[in-house]
Amino acid sequence: MKTPAGPRRKLTFDRVSLVVVFLGIPVALYLLFVLYPFTQAAWYSLTSWSGFTATQEFVGLDNYVKLARDGLFLEAVGNSLVLLLVVPALTLVLSFALACLLTFGGSSTGAVRGLAGASFYRVVSFFPYVVPAIVVGIIFGRVYDPSAGLVNGVLTGVGLDRFTDFAWLGDPSTAMAATIAVIVWSFVGFYMVLFVAAIRGIPAEVFEAARLDGAGRFRTAVSVAVPGIAGSLRTAYVYLGIFALDAFVFLAALNPDGGPGNSTLVITQQIFTTAFKEGRFGLACAMGVLLAVLTFLFTGIVFGAGRVLARRGERTGPRGVRP
Amino acid sequence: MSESTPVQRRRFLGLALAGTLLPAATAACAASGGGDEPADAGPTGQVSDDNPFGVADGTAVEAVIFDGGYGTDYVSAVAATYADLHGGAEVTVAPSTQIAQELQPRFVGGNPPDLLDNSGANAIGLATIAAQLEDLTPLTEAKNTDGEVIADTLYPGMLTDGTYDGRLVQLNYVLTVYGLWYSKSLFDANGWKAPTTWDDALALGAAAKSAGKYLFCWGKEAASYYLTLAVESAIKEGGDEVRVALGNLEANAWSHPAVQAVFAKMAQAVQSGYFRPGGAGTQFTAAQAQWSQAQEAVLYPSGSWIENEMKSQTAEGFQMTGCPAPSVTAGAALPATAFHASAGEPFVVPSQAKNKAGGMEVLRLMLSKEGASNFAETKLSSTIVKGTVPADAFGSTALASQIAMLDAAGEDTFTFNFNDVYGFTSQNNVLWNGFLSGQLDVAGLTSGLQQQFDQTREDSSIVKVQVK
Repeated sequence: MKTPAGPRRKLTFDRVSLVVVFLGIPVALYLLFVLYPFTQAAWYSLTSWSGFTATQEFVGLDNYVKLARDGLFLEAVGNSLVLLLVVPALTLVLSFALACLLTFGGSSTGAVRGLAGASFYRVVSFFPYVVPAIVVGIIFGRVYDPSAGLVNGVLTGVGLDRFTDFAWLGDPSTAMAATIAVIVWSFVGFYMVLFVAAIRGIPAEVFEAARLDGAGRFRTAVSVAVPGIAGSLRTAYVYLGIFALDAFVFLAALNPDGGPGNSTLVITQQIFTTAFKEGRFGLACAMGVLLAVLTFLFTGIVFGAGRVLARRGERTGPRGVRP
Repeated sequence: MSESTPVQRRRFLGLALAGTLLPAATAACAASGGGDEPADAGPTGQVSDDNPFGVADGTAVEAVIFDGGYGTDYVSAVAATYADLHGGAEVTVAPSTQIAQELQPRFVGGNPPDLLDNSGANAIGLATIAAQLEDLTPLTEAKNTDGEVIADTLYPGMLTDGTYDGRLVQLNYVLTVYGLWYSKSLFDANGWKAPTTWDDALALGAAAKSAGKYLFCWGKEAASYYLTLAVESAIKEGGDEVRVALGNLEANAWSHPAVQAVFAKMAQAVQSGYFRPGGAGTQFTAAQAQWSQAQEAVLYPSGSWIENEMKSQTAEGFQMTGCPAPSVTAGAALPATAFHASAGEPFVVPSQAKNKAGGMEVLRLMLSKEGASNFAETKLSSTIVKGTVPADAFGSTALASQIAMLDAAGEDTFTFNFNDVYGFTSQNNVLWNGFLSGQLDVAGLTSGLQQQFDQTREDSSIVKVQVK
């Protein structure tokens, strides 16, 4: 048996096994568990599949037309977009502020350092992230309980009687905000630790120089820390955004049916209901495809915006200071 | 290759590849596998009165049973009898709470279990799988282990909900009595009576309020229990035409005068502050404890599972008792004793199952006097089989009141199930949470419910159940 002589080095067993293990298997798994289901879902979205039969009937773009006219689905998209805008913004601002306090928010004399007891705060704030999301959801379901919950207990305890039996998760004006508060609470600690590590990566001399130049803590945060950890911020933003588009666990635990007046209904909940409760997998797959498109768009915008900002930064010189 | 290490490594690689790819490949094929050919009928046994479905000796049965309020042991309980009758064959009972998720690949792949209890929050909508289920009429025509024809041993109307497209595709095993539940001891102490009309209920609400209590309470995941109550009242008021109009998702069904009259009375109760505030944010079991434990509300609309569900959270001396949903007026189409009785825990036998006969046989044993009595005694609930609950109802006031309601109603029981068939419950909870907390008026509630009906009716991809 003749094989064409390769122009490159010999295919030793070591080389082949390396390629198989580190390239072959991951690619095979990726094809099988990511790309194949993906194309499968895209195909199902063009059928009226109930989910329980071996064959599917092709209906073209019917499902997408249906979704465009489905008021409930559009409401879910709207709510998902609200989460996409608010959750990452709030979480990043809060966790960045905390990270700044823990890294250079301490005494303004001597070496630049964080608050006293920084490591204690760090552990404490990381705690919520260790608790599984579903547990967080169940705990806060109780905390928000109108008659026996902690929130109303405290509020009525200090004399705010109008919060007696107030349903935080049952009132359309507060349900979404209350839900967002829970999600942010559970994520702040993790991103704080991430940012602490990133800020530590900025040379201490830069902070000292900024302080010698008379920069206060806020100015230091904005002009030294933010540009110094821009990459981490962007990555965190993308992660949180993708999570906010999903957010299924928290919402299913806090308001499984979509909340008062559908105010906390999100796309993933609609997918679940449509697929498993109504037995309309084709339609649910169409929703899934739209969610995927939305996620790609979001990621593209964030990275695109990051690139534009970076290019502008190059033109105006480092850290926004004109050369 | 003389060295030993690469050889071992190659073997390891081979194993790793086989280990990761094989299950993956089978998993990926879940939806593409052909399952169209009829399942192998397998060996069949001699058909006789003792073996009406011709179960072959030694053929095991696989049952997947919803593991909810009733557990699964009542199905396992007939395993010994099955083994006796069929040469020691085994009945395997697999508990599940994720019916739709776990069984979807099995229906697609053509290897469903022989018997399935399709119940719970993640049940498969009947319309979705009806075409893939066996007709259970032979089961109801067969004789039970005492030699009686099964259909003759059941309470009236219990097979209606399982009939789809003219075929009996599911058998609902547990008798569910719907109505209002209250504590007889509390009512006796205050001189209150169970309401028979909505005006009675409103008067009771005023009396309860002066005693520092509410008339009703509710929880966010179970707000649609009030939909059930409203539909029951409306059917009693307007008769069969209301039931048929709602069941067939007719245009303007929710605008029927009987339905609107009930909504108006309920809105009056909401405005009078007879509903305990905060329900839209309260978990339903916590809300139910406000009724059964704290006794802050005096009535609760639910099915007869409520006794079992709240067993650990019911106050001492709370004599739980049921009564029919109230009518709007004394001149209602159906008598005051009429009420909503249906059967729950839907058991189905998939057509592609390996041992369909075995699946039906297990059901036959469950429907025999022995199996049904065992259920009634251990679960304090009745099955659809008549006469399995003794006069003292095992000491349960709730169960005794159910049997009394059934005896009083005779043939005047009715049922409806559009919520389950079309999977409306989630959206109904949203609407009813709004209505009960006063954010949504009668017009808003009506249009919300009607919109759901119209959308489903006009969607040709959803199979409709014809209600007669």
